[in-house]
Amino acid sequence: MKKYLLAAGVLCAFGTNAALAHITLETQEAAVGSTYKAVLRVPHGCEGKATTAVRVQIPEGVIAVKPMPKPGWTLQVKKGKYEKSYQLYGETLTTGVKEVDWSGGNLPDEFYDEFVFRASLAADLPAGQMLYFPVVQECGDAAERWIEIPAAGQDEDALETPAPGIKLLPKK
Amino acid sequence: MNRMLAGSLAWLVAMLVAMLVLAMPGRALAHAALVATDPADGAVLTQGPGQFSLTFSEPVSPLVLTLVRPDGSQLALTSFRLKDQTVEIDNPETLKSGTHVLSWRVVSVDGHPVGGSALFSIGAPSAAPVAGEAVDWTLRAMVWVARLFLYAGLFLGVGGAFALAWLAEDRRCGQRFVAAALLFGLASAPLSLGLQGLDGLGAPLAQFAAPTVWRTALETSFVWTVVIGLIALGLALVSLAGPSGLRKLSASAALLAVGAALAVSGHASAAEPQWLTRPLVFLHGTAIAFWAGSLAPLGLALRQQPAEAKVFLRRFSRAILPVVAVLAASGIVLAIIQVQQPAALIHTAYGRLLLLKLTLLLFLFTLAAINRWTLTAPAQAGDTEVQRRMVRSIGIEMLIVLAIFGVADGWRFTPPPRALAIAAAQPVSIHVHALKAMADLSITPGHAGEVAASIMIMTGDFGPLDAKAVTLVLSKPDSGIEPIKRPARKPGDGTWRIDNLAIPLPGRWNARLDILVSDFEMVKIEAPIDIRGE
Repeated sequence: MKKYLLAAGVLCAFGTNAALAHITLETQEAAVGSTYKAVLRVPHGCEGKATTAVRVQIPEGVIAVKPMPKPGWTLQVKKGKYEKSYQLYGETLTTGVKEVDWSGGNLPDEFYDEFVFRASLAADLPAGQMLYFPVVQECGDAAERWIEIPAAGQDEDALETPAPGIKLLPKK
Repeated sequence: MNRMLAGSLAWLVAMLVAMLVLAMPGRALAHAALVATDPADGAVLTQGPGQFSLTFSEPVSPLVLTLVRPDGSQLALTSFRLKDQTVEIDNPETLKSGTHVLSWRVVSVDGHPVGGSALFSIGAPSAAPVAGEAVDWTLRAMVWVARLFLYAGLFLGVGGAFALAWLAEDRRCGQRFVAAALLFGLASAPLSLGLQGLDGLGAPLAQFAAPTVWRTALETSFVWTVVIGLIALGLALVSLAGPSGLRKLSASAALLAVGAALAVSGHASAAEPQWLTRPLVFLHGTAIAFWAGSLAPLGLALRQQPAEAKVFLRRFSRAILPVVAVLAASGIVLAIIQVQQPAALIHTAYGRLLLLKLTLLLFLFTLAAINRWTLTAPAQAGDTEVQRRMVRSIGIEMLIVLAIFGVADGWRFTPPPRALAIAAAQPVSIHVHALKAMADLSITPGHAGEVAASIMIMTGDFGPLDAKAVTLVLSKPDSGIEPIKRPARKPGDGTWRIDNLAIPLPGRWNARLDILVSDFEMVKIEAPIDIRGE
């Protein structure tokens, strides 16, 4: 029995290893038309170097973005035009946050941290599909780019630096 | 004294004019070497291509192109086009599955035919059919012998006629020998040309009289060597047997024509820089003719007419030092141009022939030096014992000279290290095209070892693509080697470069380019690339 538990533990450790090494989102699914709290988990620096900035690109259809400030980090947003207009609580939105940057911080490689923002997922996003949030992790001069989006039919595990993503669920 | 000065000035002017004329057709010529084939050698295709292409290190002219089918049957490929250095060949039929051989034989501007073959397979490889690229040793031997006779005619015959006209007091000694050498040359010149045609087509001896053989020969630059050589031989005969007023003039013209005949074809003449190599070959050939040509008449004169031979010996010994200086200097420069790397002396057939020639030359120079500095003075003074020794020594010199001709003749069959180096240094290039981006990747030199990569990127519709970063990832899954990942840098000329890249193995690699279009967008495109062996 103990043996089986051990084997299961080893399997678990290996199975999650890949996910642990990447920047991922804590909540991996959300319904379209809902509010989503994105928690970016940063498990390590760039090849041993401390993380100094985390920048996330907001995909089309993710609106009304509000990032959470973080002590020790400078928070900035880049705004821009949406590709189309969205209705939210009777308001028409045509522009908004396209990129969120936490910079000027120092997260050593051996420590873990989370970066949080809140957003609305537009009701017309395609349920059943994946939605990706490309992230650039900067460590001084070096950078890790978690920006790879699998092509149709491609296995996500085959990517070296996959972008964190969520599965879109049907509207509740 | 004034007359002598005027005479040497006239000589100098004549030489310079001849050099200028020879240097004029200054095109980029070298011994052709195959750079790339399409389909690539060893490629496996799903279906037969519409056309084949062969790319060489210089422009060539195809002589024979054959496709050998998997069952061994042959198909002559007659429809082809020349585009710069590439021969594009139409494929007239649908290819069955199995391994095919594309066999080619072309002639380059130096006049030497080269041949080879590329294997490719449709569907899956099968046992390779026999391509029939075997060397016809009988033909090679005949090409070699005919050339040796031609050299003998040009150097010993024409050079001998020159020595009789300008140096000898009594012109009867050696006249028969010289006349015989000239006749040998006259007979072997057309023979040589026909054999060149046979060698060019890779045809058997039995087809010597076939019109295509001769047409092929006439298309190579060797035909000019034969034509000018025949003129030289004819002028030498006029000098030997014609009116005495024309004797010296025609002998001089014949000697210059020997240099010219050698300078119009051959490896050394075809090398870059043309303004240097052609005049050097001209000087080298003229100097050889003077030296080698004088030996037989001088030896015969010393043996038969020792009294009159003194004048001959005096004139010869006065002229020979500058001639040998020109001979050695031009030879050294040409050797440096052809061999480039000292290691090539041992590693290539061409280099080994050069070493053999240098060894023979060492003997020759030793004998000549003994003759010049220890035997000439007493021989001129009339010491008969020394004169006999000198005759023997000259006889040995003659044999060594013939051996050197034979060795130099062997170069006909070996590409010089210079040409091999050009072939090895050629880059391999691929074009990768995807929807979002495309790239031209070339790796220089295109073989395993230390290389540099150059990358041109564009958007998928040929627009400019200003990427933030480009990374080259080379992988070879079948080799067990981890992928080689190198970031490229921008030298500022619109390309991306990676220097100090080491490719450990030849063969088919997968080249992937990670193009960072913007902070958050990466485009990855990939294609196979064939790296040659070192």
